[in-house]
Amino acid sequence: MSAAKRVQQWATFARTWHIFDCKWQDPYQSADLIKKYLMGMHKPIYHPMNDCGDVVVCINSRDIALRGDEWKKRAYFHHTGYPGGASWTLAWEVHNKDPTMIIKKAVYRSMKGNLQRRHTMERLLIYPDEEVPEDVLQNVTNQIRQLRLVPTRLDHIPEDEVRKFPKVMDYPKDYVYK
Amino acid sequence: MAFVRRFITVIPKLAKHVPITVQSRNIKRWVAPTLMELKRREDKQGGKVTNPRNTFLEWNLEAELYAFGKRLNEEFDSDLLLQAFTDRSYVIKEEMKQKELEIDLKMKDNRELAEEGRKFMQEYIQLYLETVLHKLPAEGIMCIRNHLISEKVLSNVSFHLGTKDIILAAEYPVDNSILAQTFEALVGALLQSCGEERAAHFVRDFVITQLQGQDVNEFWEIEDPWTMLTEMISKTGSELEPRLIGEVAKNTLLACYRVGLYLDKKMMSSGFGETVAIAKEMAAREALKKIFGTEETMHPINFKLNGIPKSRSQSKISAS
Repeated sequence: MSAAKRVQQWATFARTWHIFDCKWQDPYQSADLIKKYLMGMHKPIYHPMNDCGDVVVCINSRDIALRGDEWKKRAYFHHTGYPGGASWTLAWEVHNKDPTMIIKKAVYRSMKGNLQRRHTMERLLIYPDEEVPEDVLQNVTNQIRQLRLVPTRLDHIPEDEVRKFPKVMDYPKDYVYK
Repeated sequence: MAFVRRFITVIPKLAKHVPITVQSRNIKRWVAPTLMELKRREDKQGGKVTNPRNTFLEWNLEAELYAFGKRLNEEFDSDLLLQAFTDRSYVIKEEMKQKELEIDLKMKDNRELAEEGRKFMQEYIQLYLETVLHKLPAEGIMCIRNHLISEKVLSNVSFHLGTKDIILAAEYPVDNSILAQTFEALVGALLQSCGEERAAHFVRDFVITQLQGQDVNEFWEIEDPWTMLTEMISKTGSELEPRLIGEVAKNTLLACYRVGLYLDKKMMSSGFGETVAIAKEMAAREALKKIFGTEETMHPINFKLNGIPKSRSQSKISAS
């Protein structure tokens, strides 16, 4: 193999590191997106037996958003293997215990169950907040676009900016709020 | 009882028609032991015997030689063709035989023809490559030419033209060097029988076409591409600047860097590598390929040039 062919191969199979901000994102929809990068399905050279998957770093996994009343209704099942060992934990309980668990399980579930799945999962790094080790952050060279816009909350906008915002009318001074 | 007595004579006749061996569709367990036994016996006899085709009774050398020329659509002189196929080892063997029998028949071997053919091929391939790859410096042309006239390539061509059985040599199967030398001698014979143009087209069609599908840059090992490139650029007075334009997973074992070369702030080429130094070197190689007109996306080499091309002018790019 000539030198040119060698570096061509090297560049083709280079592992890119992506970063994904989970803030206000649906973990189950994000999982389908993250999975594509983890398995390398976004590359033209993709093949199930081709080791071309990338690394994805998920940050802010504490701030994921579940739909409707899913926090209260979704249950995660676990069985210890002993009789009577089944347990159902609600999503909010799981999230309180480990804020990376829901996104991890979502990505794991989105992939087909085969021998490769656990190795692919090794390439997924999840951090509950924005604090990522420096050596990991240095590897990151690409950002995966979020699926949804992160809305700005009214109580996070500075007060004077809110006050300056144009209004149609003002309530009378003696108006009593209900 | 009468029934039994009546048919008892038929029974032996019936038994005659019952087959002794019964066909069955099982794994044939006898195959491997049989083959092994056969091999053992063959080894005991002293290995596999290959009978050269030209020792068969009905082998007609004259007809084979005539057919050889016709197959290639060339008009060989029959004496020259026979001479081209006669190796030195065969002549020596025959002379020893003749000495025993005390007769003296002169035989010519193919050394002079091979020498002539080799010289012609060297010159012609050089001229052809200079015309086809007109931007490539003389050193590069030389390396490609040396590859084409190497024993490995020529013996391969020779073998597939079907010279193996026609060659008259002391040994069988013939050595690669003999195959290659015979091919050179064939070119020499064609040169003498049909003239330069026919021989040139023969060489073009069978030797130069071996470049098809090959990367011509692989034949020329450039030791230090960066120095070579900077020296060439410095003559033009342009400014060459390498820039790191991409890096991936830099803290890992699989780090990959991409360096772009900018000539007067315009991108010239880019190269990848495990380290920045390798990427820079590869970028320089890519740039050189671009200058020499041998990049990955070059047009295919023209294998249809007719006649012997003229030597190109003195204003040649020199690599050194």
